[in-house]
Amino acid sequence: MLKVPGWEMSIVWYFFLGGIAGGAYFTGAIADNFGSRRDATVARIGYLLALPLVLVCGVLLIVDLGVPVRFLNMLLHFKFWDPMSIGAWAVGVFGAFAFVSAVLSFTSSESMHALRRKISLVGIFFGFFLASYTGVLLSNSALPFWADARLMGALFLASGGSTGMAAVALIMALSGRRAGDSWHKIEVADRYSMLIEILVLAIFLALLGAAAKPLISGHFAPLFWGGLVGAGLILPLLLNFFGGRVRALGAVSAVLVLVGGFILRYVVVMSIQG
Amino acid sequence: MARTLAMFTDTSLCIGCRACQVACKQWNELGLETPEWTGTYQNHAHFTDQTYRLVRFVEAPGAKPGGDLAWLLMSDVCKHCAQAGCLEACPTGAIYRTEYGTVNINQDVCNGCRYCVASCPFGVVAFNEHTGTAKKCTFCNDRIHNGLGPACAKACPTDSIQFGFRDELVAKASKRVETLKAMGFKEAQLYGADSKGFLGGLNAFFLLLAKPATYNLPDNPQRPQRNVVVDSLLSIGSAILVGVGAVLAFRERGKGDA
Repeated sequence: MLKVPGWEMSIVWYFFLGGIAGGAYFTGAIADNFGSRRDATVARIGYLLALPLVLVCGVLLIVDLGVPVRFLNMLLHFKFWDPMSIGAWAVGVFGAFAFVSAVLSFTSSESMHALRRKISLVGIFFGFFLASYTGVLLSNSALPFWADARLMGALFLASGGSTGMAAVALIMALSGRRAGDSWHKIEVADRYSMLIEILVLAIFLALLGAAAKPLISGHFAPLFWGGLVGAGLILPLLLNFFGGRVRALGAVSAVLVLVGGFILRYVVVMSIQG
Repeated sequence: MARTLAMFTDTSLCIGCRACQVACKQWNELGLETPEWTGTYQNHAHFTDQTYRLVRFVEAPGAKPGGDLAWLLMSDVCKHCAQAGCLEACPTGAIYRTEYGTVNINQDVCNGCRYCVASCPFGVVAFNEHTGTAKKCTFCNDRIHNGLGPACAKACPTDSIQFGFRDELVAKASKRVETLKAMGFKEAQLYGADSKGFLGGLNAFFLLLAKPATYNLPDNPQRPQRNVVVDSLLSIGSAILVGVGAVLAFRERGKGDA
């Protein structure tokens, strides 16, 4: 009889917000390095979103500990093969990159902008890491379904990408910035991410086979099929394709992607711990 | 490292008296728990933060040499695996291996992240809400460092639980399996004695009279961390796809060949 760790809502929120933080950061870094001058808006939103989110992530992780005052004990050790150990380090390192990038996005000198772009090219790896390691952490436990899911990290990464981009797009839509071309680019980027996420999710389920039971049948199935697959992936993808450049539809699509990202973490974490 | 110590639990000798369970509670000052009806004589149902030794009562039809129902009794405990999932998962270093090869949790270091709970292939490690830390059998770390055997082994009236050097106990256990087989216990087998077998061998190993699954033990428990590299590479693959997608979306047309 195996035991579940009792990771509940604070961990679901952490996985969700950590994915957005990582996704928003690497989206910002890519816009910063590969986009036009006007895409600097996307970069700035990405960096400025990642910073508070990673701070919230740190708080969520600490309060979930049995003995929160001992959280620093995790930083007295480094186990390169242990997702929990490198994850704790990565939250800190990523937070430092998010802070520096956010500060540098307010500078006006060209040399500072060049420095920011270079720094973000390193930070991008920590963004990818933060968005995916939580999946690898679950898939390297002793528990059925989690331990059977070879693509858990890949799926979380794709979801981190789509939710991070959706969060940036939503902020752009709500702030009403006239950044037409950048808006279109983030919509396209989010479309690619959603397509990749659907592809990864399909392979994830195919590889799991019967081990996917906690997700695809039973108590959590309606939430998984309706909330994640239907309302959180297919519907926003359709809106993204056919919504044209109607900003309100883009915002609705972004909200749906975010809700879907939350549901993904929720069903994965809670389905075997109920 | 000192010579590896072990506990050998010979289930063929267990009479289900639960002296081990009580001795463990007494020595380790473990608290009272509300009993739970399991449909058998077994109580408690599972390992908890207050139960480190647990006699399992298994009714197995047809498991007796004559084909009758066998009442299998097994005093279960933390296996002190040579490749311990809990120890590898622990990010604080609170879970450590002693010089005797046993696995222990330093209660002053553990911060209660509970990854060890999710990483034990046997469901042994448990979380204590009051201390906020993970708990499990200590192999009576205090006793073995003072020349005494674990409390459970000391209390066992039939020598079903034996304590000693691992190599000596494995030799003894192998002979005992042969004896039992000659007596007609065809399924008699060792569980975790082979240091080349699963998890590098268990420092608390068992002699079973039926297949491991009959006792609710996994046939072939594996290191939870065995897929870290594969899973990470697949995540990197996903990152490349998402990253390339974003680069294509943001790249300035006209500069490249798109």
